[in-house]
Amino acid sequence: MPKTMLGRVVRFSRLLHREGVEVNPGNLIDLCKSFEHIDLQQRVDFYAASRATLVSRFDDLETFDRVFNSFWSTPLISEDMTLTDTDVGGNSDLDVQADVSEVVDSADMQEDVDGDGESEEVGYSADEALMAKDLAAMSDREIEQARKVIHEIVNIIANRRSRRRVPENRGRELDFRRTWRRNALLGEDGVELSMKRRRIKKTKLMLLCDVSGSMDCYSKFLIRFIYALKREIRDVEVGVFSTRMTAISRLLKTKGIEESLHEVAEKVHDWAGGTDIGGCLREFNDKFARDMLHSRSVMIIVSDGWDRGDPVIMGREMARLRKRVHKLLWLNPLLGTPGYQPLCLGMKTALPYLDYFLPAHNVASLIELAKTLRSVWK
Amino acid sequence: MLESIEEVEKQFAAQGYITDRTLATTIYLSLALGKPIFLEGEPGVGKTEVAKVMATILETELIRLQCYEGIDAGTALYEWNYPRQMLELRLEEARGTDKEEIGRNIFREEFLLKRPLLAAIQAEEKYRPVLLIDEVDRSDEEFEAFLLEVLSDFQITIPEIGTVRAKQVPFVVLTSNRTRELHDALKRRCLYLWIDYPTYDKEMDIVRSRVSGIGDELTRQICGFMQLLRNRDFYKKPGVAETIDWALALMAMKMDELDPQIVDATLGCVLKYKEDIEKIQEDGVPQLIEKAKLLRERTNAR
Repeated sequence: MPKTMLGRVVRFSRLLHREGVEVNPGNLIDLCKSFEHIDLQQRVDFYAASRATLVSRFDDLETFDRVFNSFWSTPLISEDMTLTDTDVGGNSDLDVQADVSEVVDSADMQEDVDGDGESEEVGYSADEALMAKDLAAMSDREIEQARKVIHEIVNIIANRRSRRRVPENRGRELDFRRTWRRNALLGEDGVELSMKRRRIKKTKLMLLCDVSGSMDCYSKFLIRFIYALKREIRDVEVGVFSTRMTAISRLLKTKGIEESLHEVAEKVHDWAGGTDIGGCLREFNDKFARDMLHSRSVMIIVSDGWDRGDPVIMGREMARLRKRVHKLLWLNPLLGTPGYQPLCLGMKTALPYLDYFLPAHNVASLIELAKTLRSVWK
Repeated sequence: MLESIEEVEKQFAAQGYITDRTLATTIYLSLALGKPIFLEGEPGVGKTEVAKVMATILETELIRLQCYEGIDAGTALYEWNYPRQMLELRLEEARGTDKEEIGRNIFREEFLLKRPLLAAIQAEEKYRPVLLIDEVDRSDEEFEAFLLEVLSDFQITIPEIGTVRAKQVPFVVLTSNRTRELHDALKRRCLYLWIDYPTYDKEMDIVRSRVSGIGDELTRQICGFMQLLRNRDFYKKPGVAETIDWALALMAMKMDELDPQIVDATLGCVLKYKEDIEKIQEDGVPQLIEKAKLLRERTNAR
């Protein structure tokens, strides 16, 4: 392989990396190996080979196509190569001739944003102080108490029996494999039986939080606590919505809650404008549900139910959602207010589809929540 | 056999599987580099079929492992045949065979139940088997980790016998409906390919090659109708498998054109949820058929 080609491939992979497509050296080596088998003059083949080796997730395909089309808009090896092939990507609406420099620029900008973000993360932001307004003046002890309660709630809803068997002395099924192994060592004096039983599997938890205006600090509080339980439940996905729906699980992995929300807020305009619950649920159902939910997922929606969208859409999307998940919970901080009735249209629409409609505005209500769940959850 | 990308396209077409250049290249590279293919896509776009056709072309065995939640080493790799071992044990004891000898005897290969992965690795040198690991997304993380081990080294260790190494690397196809994201480590070991719903023209080719004797007019109308359906917002969009089923059904009813009544009666071939069928009936089947015919004419004009 010519050196210049290697250089270009490496630069291409770096560009992909910047744009968020994870490329590891092993895949790059695979790509280089594949050059022995394909005709580099054939742009389509080169495209197929690099896509097959460098990409490993559906979400990255679009980015890949974009970067590919702009980076390789000049001939690979010789000038006489045909570039008119429209088959690339099978996607004619892609901007094939996008300027390379533009991609690079945007990548650079991305980096800058990242850099700034890191410096911001150091101190607590002003939002932290806001939280105090709603969740009263919680003392450290109360926070610890709340943590325990949420921990318990999560445990109640997250444990279920898996189909996978694990060895257990008091299990119900005979584990032939282990019995055999053990007794091969013991010889003929008596047989010791090994038992197994179905393992407890942690259910997937999906937290969908309203972060518009009044709900903002309340949601942050819950996200923070639920996320602190990462050790107990490995599968937690978090999404936030106001006028748009955004999944922040991937952001939360590398960044703090404050910074993640900050980044989301920058992307989504009209952050403080009213909530469109129906529209957001629709977006969730269309784009995220199949990845993030399975039939045993427990979904918790945190919102006050003030909806400025179309109630018909909201009803339909709630019905769709209900079909996809095992349990659907709605936490509404207003429910803690004495005399509160779920009169607003959004809440009324949602009610028929909920398994549980619960308050959770302070530690006491959280304890109530845990009690309710314990009594109804098997 | 299958010495070039064109050859792959040709051989697959001969078996009635219409590929596009990207798919053919990926398959070819998988053979050349000895790496598994990881196919993702909506249900019914022909993922499993790739492995089946491949087995036919290579004139070899298709070893299939259907994944499900909780699948473990006992069902995927190997298991000792315990009842037979016990019988053998009793027999040999009665014969008065030496104890150590018994131990050796009952852990012989004849007491080993070979499950798909072991079978694929142990295959004879002449035949490069096709190993289909279907719907990996249904399995759990434990199984993924364990698959990773098998797929990176193509060897399996059985404590009583030793390590079994593959005489030749099988052609491995993994499929997933993407109900969950698989671990990157597993995917990184594979060539990744997303199979999309076919375009109008490609679907026409597929129907023509799979449904023998179908008229051009009916093919056009069916494919147009399917394109329209896939633009709609259904709970479960119909795949190519549904198109073929439907075409076969319409052929069996000796139709050469879509007819509202017959379409109504055969909708079950295409849409599998009550809500989806209701939705399309609300839209009006006759109108959709008209649109499908128009779509065809527009394509013709082009």
